[in-house]
Amino acid sequence: MRRAMAAAEVGDDVFGEDPTINALQERAAGLMGQEAGLLTASGTMSNLIAALAWCSRGDEMIMGQEAHMFWNESAGPTALAGAQIRLVPNDVNGRISAQDVAAAVRDSSNIHVPATTLVCLENTHNRCSGGVMTPQDTREVVDVAHAAGAAVHLDGARIFNAAVALEVPASELTKDVDDVSFCLSKALSCPVGSVLCGSEEFIGKARKWRKMVGGGMRQAGVLAAAGLVALDSMVERLADDHANARRLAAGLANIDGLTVDEDGIQTNIVIFEVDREKVGDAREVIAALREDGVLVSHSRDQALRMVTHRHITAGDVDEALSRVNGTVRRMAGAA
Amino acid sequence: MEVSNGEEGMSMVVMGRYGVLYTKPRPKSAETSPRVIDMRSDTVTRPTEEMRVAMFEAEVGDDVFGEDPTVAELEKKAAELLGKEAGLFVASGTMGNLAAMMSHCWSRGEEVLAGDQSHVVLFEQGGAAQIGNFFLRTVRNLPDGTLDLEELRSKLQPEGKVAGDPHKTMTRLIVVENTHNMMGGRVIRPEYMDRLAELIRGLGIRIHVDGARLFNAATALGLPPAELVKHADSVTICLSKGLSAPAGSVLVGTAHFISRARRVRKSLGGGMRQVGVLAAPGIIALEKMSQRLEIDHNMAKFLGRGLVSMSDLGVDLDLEAVETNIVFFGLQRSDMTAEDFVARLEKEGVANGDRVIVKMLPARVASGEVKVRAVLNHHVTHQGVECALIRIREILANRGGRKRKQET
Repeated sequence: MRRAMAAAEVGDDVFGEDPTINALQERAAGLMGQEAGLLTASGTMSNLIAALAWCSRGDEMIMGQEAHMFWNESAGPTALAGAQIRLVPNDVNGRISAQDVAAAVRDSSNIHVPATTLVCLENTHNRCSGGVMTPQDTREVVDVAHAAGAAVHLDGARIFNAAVALEVPASELTKDVDDVSFCLSKALSCPVGSVLCGSEEFIGKARKWRKMVGGGMRQAGVLAAAGLVALDSMVERLADDHANARRLAAGLANIDGLTVDEDGIQTNIVIFEVDREKVGDAREVIAALREDGVLVSHSRDQALRMVTHRHITAGDVDEALSRVNGTVRRMAGAA
Repeated sequence: MEVSNGEEGMSMVVMGRYGVLYTKPRPKSAETSPRVIDMRSDTVTRPTEEMRVAMFEAEVGDDVFGEDPTVAELEKKAAELLGKEAGLFVASGTMGNLAAMMSHCWSRGEEVLAGDQSHVVLFEQGGAAQIGNFFLRTVRNLPDGTLDLEELRSKLQPEGKVAGDPHKTMTRLIVVENTHNMMGGRVIRPEYMDRLAELIRGLGIRIHVDGARLFNAATALGLPPAELVKHADSVTICLSKGLSAPAGSVLVGTAHFISRARRVRKSLGGGMRQVGVLAAPGIIALEKMSQRLEIDHNMAKFLGRGLVSMSDLGVDLDLEAVETNIVFFGLQRSDMTAEDFVARLEKEGVANGDRVIVKMLPARVASGEVKVRAVLNHHVTHQGVECALIRIREILANRGGRKRKQET
């Protein structure tokens, strides 16, 4: 990747003249079953652009109550795109149902009521342990959204994890939505960026919004070059991350004071609960683990999150489990 | 590694710390493609070989967790160079300006005053209003790029004065652009900034400098860049223009301001991860490429002198106004608009025996006239300017057009 970046042929992308970016965008669109693509600085930027493109001020967008767009994007879709967010339930795998979406759609012929112009999906689902939506699940929600006159945006930050887990081409999961974004910088391991894909018309508008929010980079082919390498060589190996996540979950389940839903571990994210009485407060556990050389993040309340990726081997998983066990036993002894 | 001011298509074996990185092949024949002399902007600059090696070797980490040492180094260096406490790498100057304005105008009911020909007003899609939700009012830009201070004085609405007035927004920020793009790459002098600072003293109003081309200004004046922005509360500088890094800008200000701007940047989608790969060439841009800008200024004057010699062909240019790397000229021709001229110039031609394509852009200026803009950058050499002048003369002379009669 570094070699590709250093040698990349570049041009000014604001003039549309960076050949490496153009190649990546075309390749990405093809993989997503869409017409065109747009390199963005981050998944957050892609999500914001989708909100800006599909929603007018005062519209309403529907998404799951655990959505990244709701929890972790500094209220951008609302504050900056001016649209209200309407939440529907996520199941344990992060899916939202067509029925719940249908029930949440608004009738804006009434002057009191905002129009529902966007439904947002997330696949895999971050806060729901990296759970997957199948092509069937996706199609059902898309049909309901389109019947209601709303577009569908897919936050596919980790869409390739879903595709690998389900053993389907990614396009099966993405071709029916109106736009989809996937991240290059996560498990695909590129330094920076995401690619937003949709129709030519949508991408034309998205390019303008991207410039407005400050995402119009110049010779960013240096970033796109890494993306092309990733699409070639970093997708199939995601299966290893999933295997390591299952290994991790199985080990955590055996540690007294921790609970994890092993069946819910479908990709590379493991969320587990720490018993407050037996062990301690989640934040203290995180700090103690850090001291013991295991870095994890906080999901919510007593839930902690671990994510596997190319720097974590099976051996690292076993080592981590051993250290976690030690930390938990120590804290349980002191609790 | 030498800083490359270089020609395209050279055979090069690039060595880094880890050995051979890559080779760039020389094209089979120098005649396979025409030479492109691209003066549309200094944003077209491609990274130097040294920058490419730096990208390859960059130490990186997740910058959203604050763990990328290279971008941290860039931000610190930029802040020090500009005499401010802290810095923030951003994807573009537009993002830097927007994040700055949003961070200054933190409360509802605040406004920004900026020049009517400034980039934030003309070329940022009104992000201030659309995204930032604050008012952006204009003050006339004078030909020298400054804001008309008398008009500014009359338009100021300091909070102390208007807080009780339900009709008026509260002026929180003034944006000064240095160098000023649309007024011709004009340099804003420290003496002007002193007068501006005096005008707003004690009124709770701050200054943001859009210093996309600040280093051009510093070079032209022979002053350290910090001197030009000592009254500014925040500054955006672009790494991707004349400084030639592939992408990005840096916003600098107080530590408190930057921590706020970091939040705003994340909400705009500018939170990038292993962005050290962009910061590494950025450091070279800041430290080395900032030292070569005088060459671009000399090339601009060389171009300007050549254009002035074509005034009999309808070229209208004030050479005194060429202070940095930007040249605007008018075409007083009845047979050809600026757009026609630029289109014709972009067609392949021959100069000094070489096939060349010369690129510039038409630009509508304050008076409504459409002029031609040329921006010098490290890819445009003395020879390149010579060829451009030959092509320009050829096009203007060919049509046999007369100078348009001056309207009275």
